[in-house]
Amino acid sequence: MASKLLASASSTLRKTLSTKPNPQHFLCRLSSSSSAAAVAADPSPADSYEDANGITMKGVRISGRPLYLDMQATSPVDPRVLDAMLPYYLSRYGNPHSRTHLYGWESENAVETARSQIAAIIKASPKEIVFTSGATESNNISVKGVMHFYKDKKRHVITTQTEHKCVLDSCRHLQQEGFDVTYLPVGSDGIIDLHALRSAIRPDTGLVSVMAVNNEIGVIQPMEEIGSICKEFNVPFHTDAAQALGKIPIDVEKWNVSLMSLSGHKIYGPKGVGALYMRRRPRIRVEPQMNGGGQERGIRSGTVPTPLVVGFGAACELAMREMEYDEKRIRALQERMLNRIREKLDGVVVNGSEERRYVGNLNLSFAYVEGESLLMGLKEVAVSSGSACTSASLEPSYVLRALGVDEDMAHTSIRFGIGRFTTEAEIDKAVELTVERVEKLREMSPLYEMVKEGINIKDIQWAQH
Amino acid sequence: MASTTASIVPTRSEVLWLFRSLLRTARQFTDYNVREYTKCRTVDGFRQNRTLTDRDALASAFSYGKAQLEIAKRQAIVYSLYAPKVKSIMDIKP
Repeated sequence: MASKLLASASSTLRKTLSTKPNPQHFLCRLSSSSSAAAVAADPSPADSYEDANGITMKGVRISGRPLYLDMQATSPVDPRVLDAMLPYYLSRYGNPHSRTHLYGWESENAVETARSQIAAIIKASPKEIVFTSGATESNNISVKGVMHFYKDKKRHVITTQTEHKCVLDSCRHLQQEGFDVTYLPVGSDGIIDLHALRSAIRPDTGLVSVMAVNNEIGVIQPMEEIGSICKEFNVPFHTDAAQALGKIPIDVEKWNVSLMSLSGHKIYGPKGVGALYMRRRPRIRVEPQMNGGGQERGIRSGTVPTPLVVGFGAACELAMREMEYDEKRIRALQERMLNRIREKLDGVVVNGSEERRYVGNLNLSFAYVEGESLLMGLKEVAVSSGSACTSASLEPSYVLRALGVDEDMAHTSIRFGIGRFTTEAEIDKAVELTVERVEKLREMSPLYEMVKEGINIKDIQWAQH
Repeated sequence: MASTTASIVPTRSEVLWLFRSLLRTARQFTDYNVREYTKCRTVDGFRQNRTLTDRDALASAFSYGKAQLEIAKRQAIVYSLYAPKVKSIMDIKP
């Protein structure tokens, strides 16, 4: 269905091409036709269909399951993690807060073991770990909880423009309540300016929140330096380390963080579980978001989900054991991918710093290609244009805009996420398919033709419609 | 259990048995990525531990490997129970 629409779109393109149209018109039409295809193929459950020969879903027919390169959105559950979880879905179903029987005791033991496994990977004490439903909840507790608790004296929050949506939205919520928020800009490499941070701190600053590894561009912020600035001014420092956990070494003492958000499903653990690290010395206090039975020392009421927490703990222990091995493999795969794409294509730009980045994230912009059509064409590769939360819209990513990436390049970004289970053959296949698709789209693009003829696109005066 | 096996150094044939068993189990995974990872991790793990001479290190590496084999055997069954009808495109020969 979508391919039919695309085919008809490309045939109209060819027609319009022969009549020398305005190139911008061409781009508009292409993007509107791709969104039309998405609307037309709106999935009713009856629409998706699977047999031994292939899958049909959302009007797209695929002969096999796509190769998965979207590890920043979520990662597959490691079989070793699932193996640790399954007993707690079968006979060991006790509520960890039950104090009167064996079911409760064995669950409680499992939860406490997991708590120490998570504490070990970030070099904290198990008493400083609070289980939550994920990094989004941890970020909400950190940003809103801290500011609400200290609201009499502290009225100012500092964060960055490239934070995850849930931190930015929590900050916006605080603004509506009358708090001040400073959104620090980032450089073209995605890293914040430490002098800007230092000068943004005020006597009433109650929190600095900077994410460790960016979810879209994989840039690693200078955590130790930010931590020491916060220590100097005695401001609590919160970091969203969902994308950093198990991938780069984390030490809460070296980073001097007061709060840290962690997530299970980014490190080959289960979805629906996360943790919040809360420093005990000096003690940081928050106002709970969820009131109830007083579990997790009253900070997060609600029954702790034993199987998920056990899985999260097992994933952390595994990540600690495998970090070095995984890093080595993933680095080799990322270099292989980047080198091969650069060998075959020109106009490929890596978004964000190339040196200070987590190796499993490769965010590339392909010049003169419309991102959505590239993604639609790459249906055998599961990738996204940015974060999963915003990739449904045709708007370019706010993270790339914060880097100062040009509008046209921001529209062409693709994020390749490489992980523990990615193979060399998959990388080669992904490169082959991407190169093929980009070349095809460039062949159709009048912009690319003009650039080949030596016309500078920035000098063109576009006619108004 | 760990304390009884910790001091027993595995013989050459026991190590080879573990290596072959892990590879054999790896091949039984229906999932392309898990299968390839298990193979690759097994080979790299044995290669990395090739130079071990310390008795305790040898014994603990062997018992860790045996535990991994048990996990792999169980999980190969679990994966086969819920295998999707459609294979990964990496498993489809053109």
